[in-house]
Amino acid sequence: MFNNKKFLSILLAAVFAVLVLAGCNSEVGNASNDSANNEETDSSSNEGEVVELELFSTKTENPETYQRLVDKFEAENPNIKVEVVSQPDSLTVLKTRLTKNDLPDIIATGGNPTFGELGRAGVLKDFTDSPLVDDINEGFLYQVKDIVSYDEENVYGIPYAGNAVGVLYNKAKFKELGLEIPTTWDEFIEVADKIEAAGEVPFYHTWKDAWTITVPWNDLVINIAGDDFAQSKTEGEATFIDRYSEVADKMLTLRDYSHNDVFGKSYADGNQAFANGESVMYLQGNFAVPAIKEFNPDIELGMFTLPALNDADENMFVASVDVLFTMPKDAEHPEETMKFIEFMYEEENATQYMEEQFAISAMNNVTYIDPIMEPLKDKLAEGKIRQAPTHYYPAGFPAAQSIQEFLIDGDKDAFLKKMDKDWDAAVAN
Amino acid sequence: MAKKHTFYVMTIPAMVLFFLFQTYPTIQGIFYSFTNWKGYGDWEFVGLDNFLRFFRDDRTQHAYSFTFGYSILSTILVNVISLFVALGLNAKIKFQKTLRAIYFLPNILSVLIIGFIFGFIFSHVIPELGASLGIGLLEKNILGNPNLAWIGIVLVAVWQAVAFNTILYLAGLQTVPMELYEAARIDGASRWIEFWKITFPLIAPFFTINVVVAMREFLMAFDHIVALTNGGPGTSTETISLLIYRGAFQDGDFAYQSANAVLYLIAIVLISVLQIYFLQKREVEL
Amino acid sequence: MNIKKTNWPITILLCIGALTIIFPLYLTFVIAVKTPVEMAQSIWAFPKVFHFENFIKAIEMTNFFNAFKNSAIVTIFSVVLTVLTNSMVAYAIARNMHLRFFKFLYYYFVSALFIPFPILMLPLVKQMSSWGLDNVVGLIFLYVVFGLAFNVFLYVGYIKSIPKELEEAAIMDGASTWKIFWKVIFPLLSPMNATIAILTCLKAWNDFLLPLIILVDKDDATLPLVQYVFQSEFSANYNLAFASYLMALLPMIIVYLFAQKWIIGGLTRGAVK
Repeated sequence: MFNNKKFLSILLAAVFAVLVLAGCNSEVGNASNDSANNEETDSSSNEGEVVELELFSTKTENPETYQRLVDKFEAENPNIKVEVVSQPDSLTVLKTRLTKNDLPDIIATGGNPTFGELGRAGVLKDFTDSPLVDDINEGFLYQVKDIVSYDEENVYGIPYAGNAVGVLYNKAKFKELGLEIPTTWDEFIEVADKIEAAGEVPFYHTWKDAWTITVPWNDLVINIAGDDFAQSKTEGEATFIDRYSEVADKMLTLRDYSHNDVFGKSYADGNQAFANGESVMYLQGNFAVPAIKEFNPDIELGMFTLPALNDADENMFVASVDVLFTMPKDAEHPEETMKFIEFMYEEENATQYMEEQFAISAMNNVTYIDPIMEPLKDKLAEGKIRQAPTHYYPAGFPAAQSIQEFLIDGDKDAFLKKMDKDWDAAVAN
Repeated sequence: MAKKHTFYVMTIPAMVLFFLFQTYPTIQGIFYSFTNWKGYGDWEFVGLDNFLRFFRDDRTQHAYSFTFGYSILSTILVNVISLFVALGLNAKIKFQKTLRAIYFLPNILSVLIIGFIFGFIFSHVIPELGASLGIGLLEKNILGNPNLAWIGIVLVAVWQAVAFNTILYLAGLQTVPMELYEAARIDGASRWIEFWKITFPLIAPFFTINVVVAMREFLMAFDHIVALTNGGPGTSTETISLLIYRGAFQDGDFAYQSANAVLYLIAIVLISVLQIYFLQKREVEL
Repeated sequence: MNIKKTNWPITILLCIGALTIIFPLYLTFVIAVKTPVEMAQSIWAFPKVFHFENFIKAIEMTNFFNAFKNSAIVTIFSVVLTVLTNSMVAYAIARNMHLRFFKFLYYYFVSALFIPFPILMLPLVKQMSSWGLDNVVGLIFLYVVFGLAFNVFLYVGYIKSIPKELEEAAIMDGASTWKIFWKVIFPLLSPMNATIAILTCLKAWNDFLLPLIILVDKDDATLPLVQYVFQSEFSANYNLAFASYLMALLPMIIVYLFAQKWIIGGLTRGAVK
């Protein structure tokens, strides 16, 4: 019995060893492949030491585009290697790394509260005097300062690309059903009614993922709740009960024009379903376009402003800083890092990014806009854009989760009260 | 004398590692619960503020009630099911070895990946089945319903945990001498009486271990929640571990979540002590 | 007594129960070898053609072999170090419980069973990174430490049941305490070593939370962590995702198929003692 056991433990160890060897061998295989790939670049720069930079991206949609640009950059700069890192829950990871004093060399993030917190923590480089900043759209520049603090003068991150949040629609289906782009709320609902009457699904909601709820929410809020809400609320001069009642009603209206498992489907499911024509419209940002096209490259897409109000001229849409580049104040390789950032802002490279990512450029000298977003152009030129209001919500205020709960149970009064209470609690702590 | 000396030396590696990676961070965690530290930068003492905030915080309170409710229910289900499975596996059946191997299989699999797989089952397989059978209730993803999502969470937890507890019960059943059953049968005892009068009292220590171990695991639930609902819809399936992880790393609430963890520690100690006290008392009575 | 007949009702019930365990794994397999188009036709039908290219693609996308190597290293070293350090300290404690120091040490270790991980999670993350241990090595240390409480509890109980006469005989022969531990005690601990090795192995191989919070470098990622990353980046392509899940589960399943009797036996023995 005892020997038997011993035998088995040896067997187990042997199985493991074989598996590990298999793993190591293929590791070696990979490594040699890698070095083969890099040989040409390496051989040209034998003299200089290779600097390795980490490009930490908090977006999951664009690593391939980054990789293509990085490859180009590495070809031009053989002594710099850039590793693109993009992982889930990346904002949390970024915060964790702030906690550990281990910030990445290059940070590519959006104008979100985490960026604001990094800015306030004083760990980021001040780009105020950088020539790159001169070419940036004023509206986007204002956003990156504002997110750090109301009266911030310094620029801690350079806006790169903006996103637009509105209504994606299937052009073929619109034509088939004889629909026009709606410009007022009433027309919008009329369109939805017609779609339902034709036996199709107006919107494909993916509200299992709470963040996707904030997409239409933000478009409604900027038009209805007022620009000054966050500040007024914190100063005690505004409440959710006063300002958000209509927003809540309209969210409930939108909820009911969808498929029957609104809270059971995820963002990934939605991209696929909309791509396959399971709904006519899709309340999403332009950042969803690449994923949709991946499922159906032939889909004809368009995007228009979610008309939250009945005054067509007044309607605005949410366009936030989707990507900004920044780096730590105490960067390990400041020159190389800056070189990479400057490379990204070169017109040719920036245009490539905007094209591939269907993004709105934050640079005045890069004017490319994708035909999909053509209907947004006028509003954009008129400056009828606002930053996502959720970006102004205090940290620790669980907005998306609360809205999700409200849309499930439909109790508006309790919801608005809870929002007021949670906000006050988050500000107090 | 030399011998004693050696014994002390033997404790050093474990003791040093344990202090550095267990005790030291624990002490720090307790320490920071009395401060307003964000995880970086300056901080000051704030006394019991963090603990008082707990009583005003609905989200945290909900996480506690969800975690306890989920743990108690799962513990009961796991113990009932695995006891039955173990009794079945211990009976005279065909394919005994194969079945035993299958029932233990979930224990060796990663909870996270199991969570992903079941997430797909809940979001696609069951709704499709519901649609084709015309059962309206099944057509929607239960994980998207705050009143039902817990069922999915419990189901996956139980699916996995039954494996280990079954093996422990099976071990217990094998310690019961066959002669006792034979004697009982001669006396004409029914199966039911046999179970309550012979089997259960003899495996009571295993019952205690199983309840304590299972409950402890469930109270720490993290992996499969992340995979299935990530705490949603809303915050309806947020467990304490998930809340502390998110609150501390996402919202910069390091100090408050440390206080939360201290309360959690107190709760776990109380529960464990009570469990052991009552279950062992029962064992003696039996 | 008479030889009992096979109990068919129970056999059938258990077989049905076993299906609920097999079904998710079957599903994982069939989805992993299908294309999205085939899956649209039927999720659970057995595919006519196996699309093994899903695996090749998933291997590339997750850098599978690297993650496998990381998981294997973490697991093997955690198991070896756990068995060595934990049995040693348990031996010292078990034979000296009458001394205050060892008694204290026993309760000190075992009390950690009650300490929930979240309480030390936050400081631990900082500490590991500032000590340069936010990597595979650090992870190994942590598995050794976090298993200690339960392992010492098991080992001490087991060692107490080993009669002291064997050691006394060895002492007569002039053997040192070290030698007694290695030559007499450690071999006698084999069943318990096996139990603890299996438990540690399962923990280290399947754990997700510690790699999630401790590891920084993408190249250090273990298998579960890689699945998590993969799931959120490419969640829409379920076929690739499931191919990736299957590969992550498979090494353990293969080991289990070969050593199933031994693994279950090891755990059972640990429980009975």
